[in-house]
Amino acid sequence: MNPSMKLALLFVVALEISFTTIVSLNVALIIIALIYLLFKRTRLKTLGWLLLVPLLPAIGLWSTQYINGTGDKTLMAWVLFTRIYAFVFTGATFTLTTNILQLADSLEQNWHLPAKFAYGVLAAYNLIPKIKHEVEIIRAAGRMRGQTLSFWSPQLYFKAILVSINWSQNLAQAMRSHGFVEDAPRTHYRQITLRRRDWAILIGGIVLLQVGVFIIPWY
Amino acid sequence: MKWVKEWYLSDIILLALVGIFFGAIFMGTNYLYDVLTAALTPVGLSGLANEILLGLWCMPGMLAGYLIRLKGSATLGELLAATVEMFFGGQWGIATLISGIVQGFGSELGYIVTLYKRYDWVGLTASAITTTLVTFGWDLARNGYFKLQLWLLLLYLVIRFISMFVFGGLLTKAITDLLDRSHVLKSTHNN
Repeated sequence: MNPSMKLALLFVVALEISFTTIVSLNVALIIIALIYLLFKRTRLKTLGWLLLVPLLPAIGLWSTQYINGTGDKTLMAWVLFTRIYAFVFTGATFTLTTNILQLADSLEQNWHLPAKFAYGVLAAYNLIPKIKHEVEIIRAAGRMRGQTLSFWSPQLYFKAILVSINWSQNLAQAMRSHGFVEDAPRTHYRQITLRRRDWAILIGGIVLLQVGVFIIPWY
Repeated sequence: MKWVKEWYLSDIILLALVGIFFGAIFMGTNYLYDVLTAALTPVGLSGLANEILLGLWCMPGMLAGYLIRLKGSATLGELLAATVEMFFGGQWGIATLISGIVQGFGSELGYIVTLYKRYDWVGLTASAITTTLVTFGWDLARNGYFKLQLWLLLLYLVIRFISMFVFGGLLTKAITDLLDRSHVLKSTHNN
């Protein structure tokens, strides 16, 4: 499916379940997402990880409502517990099957996102391993001078911003020297198509969600 | 499309890089969040972990608004940080993206109400206040806060504002003071 259409559909789903309090709907969404993930041959280890990671915050939200809530405490506790999992599993149908390159291509080609936004973010994204390393370097450099830089130290962020300014100018220059011209029309090597089927899935999905929210008398 | 023209490629890369850098620094706070959540869950106050640390996660937006003084920079900065987080190690999926937009717009609102003119403690404090209110409004629905008892709701609101003020106000001010003293910001927007 077209990446940006998939994102749009999941965005609507996440937004709508944030405002509904139907446990069965959340569970149904989790099951649909799980089937999709299995269909896409997601490794069981990954699925287990998806089950495990949200457990602590989910129990936290559950106990908050159960102990300190008002009204139907049990219902709200389970709504929030299942909502977290619905977020994680519907989100995983996107993040585990689509990469940022496909999304950037789709947003640029199908929705006319200016190329400088698409490629600018991609350029930064590809530096993630280098950025993690740089944070270690900044911390090590601090320790050599007897300074422990932690997440509350302004110097740590300051140095990170200095590096960012430096790298952003270098990267922009590098892209320009490779022929990237801001706001100029481009041709595309990787073509992302937007088919009628994508529209059908998006609209069908949203309609189905409304049926789940407003029409089915869930218990 | 005048708004698009105002943005240079290097600005966009800068915002994305700052977002990723901050994300890399925050990774060290995950254990703190987990420990706090686990400790507070038995008494039903696990939300406090989120409230205490939320200011930290909203810093990229507030700083982006300060670093690049264009309309929408705070929103874009936080959105880019969230987009990258969604793909890289973030298990919250699309919810991250929505939070990013909400937090970014919250920060932006602070600069909007000060008419994009106050790049000092007034702007940052305004941003801390609006970020608190906007994100709290969102959590009323998303995290079911509207069902909580009133005392807890007020406690969460106060702690969230303190967190926003300490990280988004005081810490961000300390960072921007360092930036001002080093005169790096003038050179960032003329290439």
